[in-house]
Amino acid sequence: MASHRLVAHCRQDLLQRLPVEVAEEVADGLDDSYEEYLSRGLTPDQAATAALAEFGDPGQIVDAFRRASPVRRLARMLVLTGPLVGGWWAAALISSRAWDWSIPLSARLVAGPLVAASVALLMTALLSRRYQALQRAGIAGCLGVAALDAAVITTVMVLAPDGRWLFIVAACLSAVRLTFVARSLRRILVQAGM
Amino acid sequence: MKAELLKGHLDALILAALERGPLHGYAVMETLRESSGGQLDLPTGTIYPALHRLEAAGLIAGSWSLVGGRRRRCYLLTQAGRKALSGRRADWREFARVISGVLEGSPWPATAS
Repeated sequence: MASHRLVAHCRQDLLQRLPVEVAEEVADGLDDSYEEYLSRGLTPDQAATAALAEFGDPGQIVDAFRRASPVRRLARMLVLTGPLVGGWWAAALISSRAWDWSIPLSARLVAGPLVAASVALLMTALLSRRYQALQRAGIAGCLGVAALDAAVITTVMVLAPDGRWLFIVAACLSAVRLTFVARSLRRILVQAGM
Repeated sequence: MKAELLKGHLDALILAALERGPLHGYAVMETLRESSGGQLDLPTGTIYPALHRLEAAGLIAGSWSLVGGRRRRCYLLTQAGRKALSGRRADWREFARVISGVLEGSPWPATAS
């Protein structure tokens, strides 16, 4: 059935602000509503107006998806638990004078910007009003945190094998976080059809 | 019905709507509207994000199909969703019993001390 131009305009608006699959699903509901009003005997203009009124403001729908986004929830969890895990690692590294370890200069130079970039991406995911930007920044930030966790666990296993308890606790925290992020991201990406 | 009264119950309502079989988003809204005699007229901005949240939680599963030349995403209740619905029903019965007892002034059931 041919769609009304107002309905088509709303569909286009959603396609610009949501992932294609999500926008198509929501717009399908709008088409159903439009057809329902047509079947009740309304003219196409009346049916489109009624369907759009029932549908609500596309901006509010996008905002509802933004607030319910599992990527945003994962980013918030990482931001909230970040200081605990990071603080524990800082205490462990300071107590064993990690600056004296034989870590290549390139790795030292990459670590700081990677932490800063990951935090910035996670904060973007939390604060962005745009759904698509939120998803991209959140997934990138989560991957950054996962990479940091994997790198720091590997480094400590190689350079500090004596197993001081601060390192053991920090490595366990990172391992739990890494596993959780990997499982959550896998579920998110499967659901998004990626 | 006021939207704030539904807070905390939306997930259970959607799970209940899907209990009889797979539905797409608009059909979930229609089912809730019809089964409540028009009292539950939930906006699109509430239903679709909630469906995605429930799917992410593993309580429902979505899949695409082609209906009348249009792609349509339908959802069905998973085993975990059925279990969650059962739990939410039991919680609701208990909640309704307690609140009704207080609001209607009926005697409070004695508890062993």
